[in-house]
Amino acid sequence: MTWTIARKEILSNLLSYKFFIVLLLMVLLVATSLFIMHRDFRQRMDDYQVVRPKPGDPIALVAPNPMSIFAKGLDDAMTRSFEVRAIGIDVRAGQSSGNIIYSYFPAPDFLYVVRVVLSLVALLFGFDQVSREREQGTLKLVLGSSVSRAKVLAGKWIGNFLSLAVPFLLVTLLASALLMFDSNVQFSAGQLGRLAFILVLSLFYLGFFLSLGILVSTLTKRAATSVVVLLFAWSLLVFIIPNLGTLLARQFVSVPSVRALTEKRQQTWTREILLSLKDRDWEKHVRTISSENDQLEQDYRLKFERLVRLSQNINRISPAASFLDASSEIAGTGIGEESRLKQEVVRYKDSIIDKIIAARRDGDGQYPAFTYAPRSLPEIFAGGALFDTAWLIFFNILSFALAYVAFIRYDVR
Amino acid sequence: MLKSIIAKEIRANILSFRFLASFALLFVIVTVTSLVLTGDYLRRQDEYSQRQADLGVYLKNYAHFNRIGNILQPAQPPIPFQTLVRGLTAEVNLEQFNDDPLPVIFPLIDLTFIVTILVSLMALILSYDAVSGEKEDGTLKLMLANGMSRSHIILGKFAGGLLTLLVPFLLSVAAGMLIILLHPRVTWSGADWGALGLILLGAALYIAVFYLIGILISSVHRSSSSSIMTSLFVWVLLVLVVPNLSPYVASFLSPTPSRIKVAREVGRLYDTDRDDLGRKLAAESRREVLRQYPVLEERLTEDEVKKRVAEDPEYRTAYEAARAANQKAWDEANRIQGAKGKVLEDDLRQKEEAQTGLARSISMASPMADFTYLATELSSTGMQNMLHVGRLAGVWNRVFYSEYQPRKIADLKAKDPTADVWNTAIDMTDSPRFRYTEEGLGGRMGAAWGAFAVLAVYIVALFAAAYMAFIRYDVR
Repeated sequence: MTWTIARKEILSNLLSYKFFIVLLLMVLLVATSLFIMHRDFRQRMDDYQVVRPKPGDPIALVAPNPMSIFAKGLDDAMTRSFEVRAIGIDVRAGQSSGNIIYSYFPAPDFLYVVRVVLSLVALLFGFDQVSREREQGTLKLVLGSSVSRAKVLAGKWIGNFLSLAVPFLLVTLLASALLMFDSNVQFSAGQLGRLAFILVLSLFYLGFFLSLGILVSTLTKRAATSVVVLLFAWSLLVFIIPNLGTLLARQFVSVPSVRALTEKRQQTWTREILLSLKDRDWEKHVRTISSENDQLEQDYRLKFERLVRLSQNINRISPAASFLDASSEIAGTGIGEESRLKQEVVRYKDSIIDKIIAARRDGDGQYPAFTYAPRSLPEIFAGGALFDTAWLIFFNILSFALAYVAFIRYDVR
Repeated sequence: MLKSIIAKEIRANILSFRFLASFALLFVIVTVTSLVLTGDYLRRQDEYSQRQADLGVYLKNYAHFNRIGNILQPAQPPIPFQTLVRGLTAEVNLEQFNDDPLPVIFPLIDLTFIVTILVSLMALILSYDAVSGEKEDGTLKLMLANGMSRSHIILGKFAGGLLTLLVPFLLSVAAGMLIILLHPRVTWSGADWGALGLILLGAALYIAVFYLIGILISSVHRSSSSSIMTSLFVWVLLVLVVPNLSPYVASFLSPTPSRIKVAREVGRLYDTDRDDLGRKLAAESRREVLRQYPVLEERLTEDEVKKRVAEDPEYRTAYEAARAANQKAWDEANRIQGAKGKVLEDDLRQKEEAQTGLARSISMASPMADFTYLATELSSTGMQNMLHVGRLAGVWNRVFYSEYQPRKIADLKAKDPTADVWNTAIDMTDSPRFRYTEEGLGGRMGAAWGAFAVLAVYIVALFAAAYMAFIRYDVR
C-alpha cells in the first residue's frame, strides 16, 4: 500500500507546475554552479602551476583541491603562498582578493546550492502534503479505505523524496561526470568516495526539510499558513541561526582581530632588527622574532579554536550548519583543515629557520620542500564530522517522528 | 475610492497570520541583531584603544625611520554605524597569516542581511496572492462589478501592502536603534541619522520592488499556489543566485593577471634584476671614470684608499667622481627597474579595477545587490569608504614623510652629525597620527545614487508590467 501511495505521489508530482519549476531551478543551479566553480578551479590551478615554488625555495604552497568545485570553503585561504623569511612568514593571496565584490556575497558552490536553494525546494515538496489533500477531500477517502496513517505518511514521504532525490542525483552525477572529462581536474578514488559521502549527507539534509514540510503541513489547517510558517522556519534555520550564532560566540570568546595580530608582528620584527643593529647579534634577535611569532600564533590558535568550537555548537541548533561543517570538512576545505595547514606551515618554518639564519652567512640556502598531507577520512570523522552526520540523521528521525505523531492526531474533517 | 481600497488592504493584512508572524519574527531578529552587533562594536572599540596604547609604547621606545612604514599604517577605528551595517569590515584578510575564516563560512548578520533576505521574503509572502487570491475568493469580480477602475485597485493594493510592511519594519528598526542608542558609549551623529534615513528610504524602495514582483506574478497566474512557486523561483534567482555568480562571471569575461605571479615578478625586478643591471651600469661608468682619471687604476686596500683621499687632493676628486658615477649608475638601475615594476603593477591594478567594475555592474541587475551597495556605501562600510581611507592615508603620508620626517632627521643631525638617522630609535609619540573621519554624506550619496536609480527603474518597470498584466487579467 505504501508503494501505491508513493507511486501516486510521484505521478502527481510529475504533472504539477511545482515540479516543473523545481526541476528547472535544480538543473539550472547545479549545472551553473559546477560550471562556474570548475572554471574558477582551473584558473586557480593555472596560477598554481605558474607560481609553484622551485626546488629549494622556502615556500609552502599547496595545490587547489578539486573538491573545492563542490565545496569552495576556505580553499582560497589554503592555496595562498606562505614564504618563510627570517623576519616572519610572507603571505600572498590569489586573485579573488583583488576583486572586492567576492567578499560581498558567498561563493555559489554546490554546497551553497544544496544548503540554501534545494532545502527550500524540499520544503516546497512537503508544505501542502496533508493540508491540500484535506482541502480536496481526498484524505478522507484514502483513510476511509482503511489504510493505516503510518502507511499513508510513509508513502507520501517516499514518493516525494524520490521525486526530489532522483532528479537531484541525476543532475549532479551527470554534471560531475562531465567534469571528469577535463584532464586538469583529477579526482582520486578517495575523493570520489568523499563526494559520494557529501551526496549522502545532502540527501539526509534534504530529507530533513521534506519531513519538516510535512510536519508543518499537518500542524496547520491551510496550505497558505503552512507556507508562511515554513518560509520563516527555513530562513531561521538556513540563514539566521548560523550567522547570528557565530557573532554570538564572539561575545563570549574574545579573539584578537587580524589587524591587531599583524600590528603586533610588525612591531616585534622591527624592534628586534633595530636592537640587533645595536648589539650586532642578528641571529639571537631573529630567533626571538620567530619564537615570539610562534607564541602569538599559539595563543591566537587556542582562542580561535575555542571560538570555532563554541560557534559550531551554537550553530548546531540548525541542521544547515551541521551539514555545511561536515561536508566542507569531508571535502577538505573546512575550518579544521585550514587551521591544520597553518599549523603545518608554522612547523615547517620552525624546521628551516636555522638554515635561513645560516643562509645569511653562507649565501643562498636550499631548503627541503613543504609537503602537506590532508587529513584522512577517519581523522575528519573523529574531528566532528561523525557527530554532525549523526546529528543530521537525528534531525531526520525527529522531524519524521513528530510528523507521524502530528498526523496520527490530525483531524481529517 | 483609492483610499478605501488602501484601508481595506491594510485591514485585511493586519489581521492575517502572515502579517503577525512577519512582524514578530522581524521584531525579534532586529532587536537581537542590534544587541549582538552593539556588543561586537564595543569589543572592537576596546581592542582599538588597546592597539593604540601598544602603538604608543612602541613609538616611544623603538620607532626608527627605516621601518616606520611597517608600523604606522592607516588603521580605521570602528564606527558607530557598524552596530547596524557591517559591510566590508568583516575581518577576512587573506594577505595576512592569521586571516579570520569564520565569516567566509557563515557571513555576518546585520541590517542589510535582514532587509535583503528576510524582508524581501516577507514582501513576497504578503503579495504573492494579491490578485490571484482575490480571484479565488471571488471578491475581485464583486469589486470590478461595482465600477472600480482596475488602475485604482492595483494602485491601492500596492500602496496598502507596502504600508503594512513598512510599518512593522520601521518599528523593528526603531526598537533596534533604541537598544543601540541606550548604550552610553555609542554616539550617533547628525550625518549618521541622515545616512540611516537614506538607507531606510532605500529599504522602502527595495521592499516595493519585491512587493511589485509579487503583484505582477500573481496577476499572471490563475492560482495562488502556482503564483507562490514562481515568486519563490524569481526570488531565489534575484537574491541568492545573481549576486553570488557576478564576480565569477566577471572574472571570466575580464580576466586579471595572477596576483601572486605579479608580486613575484615585481620582487624579482626590484631585487636580482636590479642588482644585475646596477652592476652592469656601474661597471660601465667605472670604465668611463677610469679613462678620465687613470690614477684610480692602482689597486689599493680600503685603508690605503682612505689615507690617500685624505692626503692627495687630486686623488680625492677622482675618488669622489667615481663614487658619484657609481651612485648615478645605481640610481639609474633603480629607476629603470622601478618603471618596469610600475608598469606591471599598474596593469594589474587597472585590470582588477575593470573586473571589479564589471562584477558590480552585473550584480546590480539584482535588487539585492543594489540595496547591499547603497546600504554599505551610505554607512561608510563599502567600497567608496575604502577609497576614502586611501585618500586620507595619502594626506597623512604627505604630512608624515615630507614634513615630520625631515624635521626630525634635521633635529637628530644637529645633535649628532654622525648618527645613522635611519636606524636610530627616536621618540615619535609626537608624530602626526592617521585620523579617520567619515566621508561627508554628499560623497557617500554620490556612490549610492546608482543603486537608488536602478531600484527606482525597477519599480517603474514592474508597476507598468503589473498594471498591464492586471488590465488583461481574466477575473472569471
